[in-house]
Amino acid sequence: MSLRDVLSPFTAWKHVIDTPVTIQDPFNREAADRYRGFHQNDMDKCIGCGSCEEICQNDAIDMVPVEGQNAGPGDSGLRPMIDYGRCCWCALCVDVCMTGSLTMSNEYTWVDSDPDAFRFIPGVDGKSWDLEPKGYQREDTRRLTGTTRAPMGEMEPEARIGNFDEIVDGFTREQAVIEADRCVECGLCVATCPAHMDIPDYISKVRDGDYEGGLQILYETNPFSQACGRICTHKCETTCAAMHEGDAIAIRWLKRDITDNVPRERYFDLIQKPDVPETGQKIAVIGAGPAGLTTAYDLARKGHKVVVFEALDKPGGMMRYGIPEYRLPYDVLDHEISVIESMGVEIRCNMRVGHEISMQQLEKAYDAVVLSIGLHQGRSTRVPGSEKAEAAIDLLRRITAGEEVPVPEQVAVIGGGNVAMDIARSMARLQKVKYDKVGVTITALEELDRFLADAEEIKEAQEEGCVIYPARGPQEITLEGENVTGLRTWKVKAIFDDEGRFAPKYDEADEMVHPAQMVVEAIGQMSDISLLGAELTEKLEWNRGRIMIDADGQTSEAWLWAAGDVTSGPDVIHAVADGHRVARSVGKMLATKREKLQ
Amino acid sequence: MRELLYRLKDRYHLGTPTFQRDDLTFVTVKRDELRAILTELRDVEGFTHLTFLTAVDWIEEGLFQLTYMINNREANQSLGLRVMLTREDEPGATTGDTIHDLWPTAATYQRELNEMFGINFPGSPRVDEEFILEGWTDLPPYRRDFDTLAYSQQTYRERPGRGRSDPKAHMQETLYPDYPKPREAAHAHKEEAK
Ligand SMILES: Cc1cc2nc3c(=O)[nH]c(=O)nc-3n(C[C@H](O)[C@H](O)[C@H](O)COP(=O)(O)OP(=O)(O)OC[C@H]3O[C@@H](n4cnc5c(N)ncnc54)[C@H](O)[C@@H]3O)c2cc1C
Ligand code: SF4
Ligand code: SF4
Ligand code: SF4
Repeated sequence: MSLRDVLSPFTAWKHVIDTPVTIQDPFNREAADRYRGFHQNDMDKCIGCGSCEEICQNDAIDMVPVEGQNAGPGDSGLRPMIDYGRCCWCALCVDVCMTGSLTMSNEYTWVDSDPDAFRFIPGVDGKSWDLEPKGYQREDTRRLTGTTRAPMGEMEPEARIGNFDEIVDGFTREQAVIEADRCVECGLCVATCPAHMDIPDYISKVRDGDYEGGLQILYETNPFSQACGRICTHKCETTCAAMHEGDAIAIRWLKRDITDNVPRERYFDLIQKPDVPETGQKIAVIGAGPAGLTTAYDLARKGHKVVVFEALDKPGGMMRYGIPEYRLPYDVLDHEISVIESMGVEIRCNMRVGHEISMQQLEKAYDAVVLSIGLHQGRSTRVPGSEKAEAAIDLLRRITAGEEVPVPEQVAVIGGGNVAMDIARSMARLQKVKYDKVGVTITALEELDRFLADAEEIKEAQEEGCVIYPARGPQEITLEGENVTGLRTWKVKAIFDDEGRFAPKYDEADEMVHPAQMVVEAIGQMSDISLLGAELTEKLEWNRGRIMIDADGQTSEAWLWAAGDVTSGPDVIHAVADGHRVARSVGKMLATKREKLQ
Repeated sequence: MRELLYRLKDRYHLGTPTFQRDDLTFVTVKRDELRAILTELRDVEGFTHLTFLTAVDWIEEGLFQLTYMINNREANQSLGLRVMLTREDEPGATTGDTIHDLWPTAATYQRELNEMFGINFPGSPRVDEEFILEGWTDLPPYRRDFDTLAYSQQTYRERPGRGRSDPKAHMQETLYPDYPKPREAAHAHKEEAK
């Protein structure tokens, strides 16, 4: 022992002249600054994810509905109620809180003869310590759940621009586990997914490595999980609990991880048609896109006979003929559709309803008809020379079909949405192959930060050499005889008028001519409804140019339903959700019909 | 500190040290060398104070880690010596080596570890007496296989009137009650078939 150790007790004597630290009145003694006392909860921040309830080892927390807090995107509307008869003040709930809304004041003394007073909802049932700044808050550096998204490998721009190979690698097992581990399984995202996929359940399967179980969960809500795992608009990720204090969970990539990790032939064992009696009832589906095929999948699994009529050479709709191969490879789609066919769905390609067969024939021969024809006509700007323009979706379809499309050295694309990016990037690839260089110009009315396209699509297009001119309005497609020479644009001053109507205003002095031997219009699509014929068109009820449907997708005709882009849109997962709704509605009608016959 | 560890390394098996802070270092040592190292550090190197003795349950690895935190006041240095013990499932079957003769206060820590982790220290004074838990019959509660939630549910009564909602189910009921439920298709048909 050193001398200092021996003397140190006596050094305390030097404090005898200090003000005493003992407190005269122990009943009104304030706790230490970081003391863990009664909770506080910021109602504007709390999202009702229930992570606090889940982690509490004393079962002290109940998530309960609260007046004035409504369920909505990314908020369950529930709030934690704490039973202080059980709480041990450990603060695990504060440490896990996904938003930082939950904190603890340093108030810990409170006397009441009613034990139920000690069960309350912090932040809702007002308390004197609600605004107390002292107490326990989670240190910013300490998180129980990971905040950073696992990295995703993808092909570098130089490697991908000369081909149509898939860009995104998919997670490795290590990356998938890191990402799955970050999910707190709150389920807030489920409400946002149009098809209400059971996201937390399948993410937990990724974590456990049970890919086959995961696949079965995916198929309960989505027979296009492989496609959606790649190209879904992933709106679910915009309401993920993890986004408040870090990156949202990569839900889409985790879905893909499951589908990539089940061997293709195993799908047919895992996703089997339920053992149900044949009903003998028949449904015709028009259009083999995600809406039609989901309807077909559901109805076939209930024992009905389903025939899908498809105008084009192959099924898949815009997933095949719109979305480029580098985002969704054809073999993935082929496999996905083969699972649907294994339910007994019959797909008849090269059968355009209105040509090869009429609506009247279908109405007669089938118990129900589902119209899911999508939007396959490009809209035109109607500026002078626009009759010489190409429609983006036409070009994309021809590229998919392997048709020869003209590939000039310079291409100008009109439009700032995802379709514009898809055609721009597809043409860029063809140019790279033909000329070893890219010459694509993209013009759109909007400023770049208001483009409708996803940010990553814009970034990737730029990386691949496409040049974007935002806030430019098309005035003319310039011609020399029959040949396109360029696109003349004016600077956009405003897109909408004071009442919010579309009425672009231009600065005519700021004119540009973008040299191009091909101009592509990618400003929207519409349905080709000529298949309906005059009589049916007349009979149906319409709503602003779209066929009117009820909440279940039924039209004003008792035998006809409509689903997908043709009535609503705008993406694959909405089409899938529509398909489920319509299938249920059709199924109900068929059941009633059967009962009547019995 | 580095210099000291270099010196010790000649005669003892030391793991790779962690230099956590200027005044705080951790190093793993072998169980049968612990006593010699502690004695030498105490008597020769000025680490006269045992700050604490604590444990970590590495259940997946089948190990208990003991950390002996010792302090040299003169040099303002703390050194955490870690010793790994094979983790036995039976409480009390895992034993550590008592050091109460080096630091009498160790007996108290050892008694606590026996109670909270079920790590026994044969020969340590009063080691089998209750420490803070009274009448405890369950697994030692700091063990990772002790289920705190289940214990609290079994032991403490719920106040009447409690009820809880699951966020996912609550949102389903309030936001999209009419959307087809996942397993509905299959079940509905079973009903129909009956
Ligand atoms: C270029 C492009 C990129 C896109 N990218 C994405 C994306 O990344 N993510 C996403 O979620 N969504 C994307 N979408 C949207 C998505 O593809 C559609 O929302 C979805 O495919 C709509 O499904 P659907 O079944 O309603 O129609 P479609 O997929 O369009 O399918 C309709 C089918 O009906 C057929 N058909 C039409 N008329 C007839 C007829 N008279 N007789 C028989 N068959 C007929 C068509 O040939 C087609 O196969 C993209 C769309 C385009 C155009
Ligand atoms: S402080 Fe601990 S015991 Fe109290 S409610 Fe939070 S998690 Fe539960
Ligand atoms: S963890 Fe935080 S955000 Fe989630 S419900 Fe609890 S208090 Fe609210
Ligand atoms: S993905 Fe996000 S919102 Fe969905 S369950 Fe996981 S943490 Fe919650």
